[in-house]
Amino acid sequence: MDPVLTGLALIADPFNFLLILIGVVIGVLVGALPGLSSPMAVALLMPFTIGLDPIPAIAMMAALYCAGTYGGSITAILINTPGAPPAVATALDGYPMAARGEAGRALGMAAAASVFGGIFSLLVFIVATPLLAKIALSFRPQEYFALALFGLSMLASISGRSSLRNLISGGFGVLAATVGIHLVTGAERFTFGIPYLVEGIGFVPVLIGLFAIGELLAQAQTLDVERVPVRAVAVRLPSRADFLKVRGTMVRSAIIGTFIGILPAEGTTVAAIMGYNEAKRWSKHKDEFGKGAIEGIAGPEAANNAGTGGAMVPTLALGIPGSGTTAIILAALMMHGFRPGPHLIRENPQFVYAIFFAMLAANVMFAVLGLAGAKLFARVTFVPRAFLWPAVFAFSMVGAYSFNQSLFDVWIMLIAGLVGFVAKRHGFGPAPFVMGLILGGMVEETWSQAMLIFDNDWTRFFESPICLLFYAFTLAGLFGPLLARGAGRLVDRLRPSGDVLGE
Amino acid sequence: MATANPDRKGGGARRPAPSLIHRTDLTLAVVVLAICAGLAYQTTRFEEVPALLQQGVPPTWFPRLVLILIGALALMLPFEHIAHRRQGRDIDEDRSRRIEPITFATAGLLVAVVAIMPWAGTLASMALAAVLLPLLWGERRYGAVAAFAVAFPLAVTLLFVGGLKVNFVPGVVGHLFR
Repeated sequence: MDPVLTGLALIADPFNFLLILIGVVIGVLVGALPGLSSPMAVALLMPFTIGLDPIPAIAMMAALYCAGTYGGSITAILINTPGAPPAVATALDGYPMAARGEAGRALGMAAAASVFGGIFSLLVFIVATPLLAKIALSFRPQEYFALALFGLSMLASISGRSSLRNLISGGFGVLAATVGIHLVTGAERFTFGIPYLVEGIGFVPVLIGLFAIGELLAQAQTLDVERVPVRAVAVRLPSRADFLKVRGTMVRSAIIGTFIGILPAEGTTVAAIMGYNEAKRWSKHKDEFGKGAIEGIAGPEAANNAGTGGAMVPTLALGIPGSGTTAIILAALMMHGFRPGPHLIRENPQFVYAIFFAMLAANVMFAVLGLAGAKLFARVTFVPRAFLWPAVFAFSMVGAYSFNQSLFDVWIMLIAGLVGFVAKRHGFGPAPFVMGLILGGMVEETWSQAMLIFDNDWTRFFESPICLLFYAFTLAGLFGPLLARGAGRLVDRLRPSGDVLGE
Repeated sequence: MATANPDRKGGGARRPAPSLIHRTDLTLAVVVLAICAGLAYQTTRFEEVPALLQQGVPPTWFPRLVLILIGALALMLPFEHIAHRRQGRDIDEDRSRRIEPITFATAGLLVAVVAIMPWAGTLASMALAAVLLPLLWGERRYGAVAAFAVAFPLAVTLLFVGGLKVNFVPGVVGHLFR
């Protein structure tokens, strides 16, 4: 049977739809709750999904990812508190709209733009993934090594305060991936005589610790922050005039978001900010931005949801995560026995189509749920933190334990959380570490294979044009932000107004 | 949010000239380098590879390469604040607020709960966390805390043990019911 139809048949099961719906509800709730994030929720969901078949398991995670990105906009608009980082730009115009009594219109636009961006990116996903995988099938270990190196280099520009710290954090992630038995020689590395470490550091406890326990401790720092009560809102869809006004913005933002999503390591937050900036740049009413411009909602929302479909492209086609959340989905794929990358598309094309249909269903579901239950979801933010975070801790503890039924994993989770909290205070984010942890194995494996083929002659890494292209991308990834800043300064200097501070 | 750099403004109260080296980041760099040195030493203690398997890349090469890269990047940490200052960004923003005593207490409580889990069992540990953490965080609706401490761990246990067939650590509580 045609793989598209097989994929549809695989997902068109009432149980799978129920799981997708559960994923969507959790995603919208998590997205709406400040502090809880999609990566954390997907990490906590992993232990639940281990017992499931791979398709419903990954579909549920993908649905949560889509809905979580949208969920953040609800609280951003209603209480000026973005539930998730991708919704930061939405609050800039969403809250002023809500403040002048147009919360319904703002929420409606957020949902419509999110669905548009999400579906647009899924169409790109379904076309681009097999094409990219087809190209990647001709890759040899040296090309894979160059590709993984490019993925790691993108950590320099991943959202966060410091490229340098992102790279160091990613480096430690790569190092953590070397713990355990060296596959080529069988030598034990960094096991410190602890038998539990022989098989390496488990993804599940580390991910749960970094995202859940680290955030729990960060929440303990902000117990004195008060929240404003949510206003009653009647949600209605935006008018035809609204859609006509934002149609160009939505298309541009969807393209930007999809492209940013496809770039390894770049997340939906970057996409949302770029979507907002472009919406403002192209707008005929720039002065309305920040005061409640409807384009200021359509831009970031279309972009951040387009980022979700885009991020799935490198994840499934190349085995390189497109974002922090897809890094966890990638880890889940590996735990279900899949080898993400071109071989997955060649051997299990129906799997990719099933994920596509699951994400499509999730987009429709979160639009309906989000519009119908926006007020209810916004009220979730008032679940007392003194009950919410102990619940997160209990889930973390049990989740880390249940994968291998090992208490050692619970300690790994706790240590990862404590270290992650301190590291985050100093600017070392968890997402680059996770990307390093996931890409580290691929980098070493392909490097070792290529060195074996090249008889330890490293100069041969520069023979392949594809490798050279990826090395050029790598350099651009590493030094691109620096060059962009330098160029920006140069433009400032050349401006006739001469308004550069201190000049 | 980006703000104008106060060090470059003319007039008004001037800050003293910032030093070349950021002291906190210098300490941070020393810690990172110490970790790298410790791990690099560990690589010298990897077990010998049998001659049969000695073709290709030795197991020490890749970790050492990564450690060298991390070490080189760490050397830049004390000077990174200069670039941030030029962009009007405060490198100390996230760490400007000191770690509150409640955070230390929370961390201590989490460690304690995990430490007693082998003895008390998973269910009792969850219940303990569900009582102590809300109280520590200032919740004083004792009835709600009690209800939460009973209902939530039971619900989680039902889900994992009943639904997902996970064997929890029984502990003393579990043994009492056996």
